[in-house]
Amino acid sequence: MRTRLMLNCHEATFLMAKKEEGKLRLIDRLKLTFHTSMCRFCRLFQRQARQISAESRQILSDQMLSPAFKDRMEQLINDNYQG
Amino acid sequence: MVAEDIVQDTFLSALKGLAAFKGEASEKNWLFAILRNKIADHYRGLRTEILPLENEGPEGPDGRFGEDGMWRKNRRPKPWAEPDNPMEHKEMQRMIDWCKEHLKALPKMVFILKYLEEKDSEEICKVLGIKPTNYWVLIHRARLQIRECLEKHWLKK
Repeated sequence: MRTRLMLNCHEATFLMAKKEEGKLRLIDRLKLTFHTSMCRFCRLFQRQARQISAESRQILSDQMLSPAFKDRMEQLINDNYQG
Repeated sequence: MVAEDIVQDTFLSALKGLAAFKGEASEKNWLFAILRNKIADHYRGLRTEILPLENEGPEGPDGRFGEDGMWRKNRRPKPWAEPDNPMEHKEMQRMIDWCKEHLKALPKMVFILKYLEEKDSEEICKVLGIKPTNYWVLIHRARLQIRECLEKHWLKK
C-alpha cells in the first residue's frame, strides 16, 4: 500500500482479508490497527467478516445434483461407456 | 448451469481415462483432481473479465465508499444479532450459503474455495489461473457483498 500513515475504509477492509491469512507486512498491520482503533464501522466490519468466515467453515457442501441431471448423466454414461 | 456442465465433463473424462486409474488414490480424490482441472480450464477463459479490477478507484466496488475511500453514510455496516445457540448458527450458515449464490461467478468461486473448502490463496490462484492481486480484490469484493447481504436479511440487533 501507499506510504501514507492513514488508511481509508476501503483500504482497511481490503487489508483485513490479507491479515486473516497472515499475509500482511508489519507496517500494514500497524496501519490497519491504527485505523480500526479509530473507525467503529471498520471495527464492526472486521468482527462481522470474521464471523462470516467462521460460520462458512461449518457449511456442509450439500449442493445436491438434481434428479433430472442424474438421469441425463446416467444416459450419457451408458451411451459413452459400455464396460 | 456452468457447474452442471463441468461436472458432466468431469464424469465423461473420468470414464475415458478409467483405464489409467490405478487405484492409487481414492475414487473421490481422483474425480476431484479431474474436476479441479476442468474448473481451471473454464475460468482461465474468463481471465480477461477480471483485469480491470486492478485499477479499482477509492470508491470500491458498487460505490460503498466515497471518493475519499470512507464508508458512504448509507452503506456503513450496522450491527446484527449474533447467533447464540446451535439453531441460530445453522440458520446463519444457511443464510450465508444463500447469499453466496448472488455473487458473480469468479468472486463466488473464490469465496467457496476459501471459506467452504478452506483452500489457501496460492492454491486458489493456481486452480483459477488468476494473479494474487486479482485474488485479493475478488475476496474483498465477496466479503463486502456477503456481509451486506447478511445485514439485509439477518436479524437486526
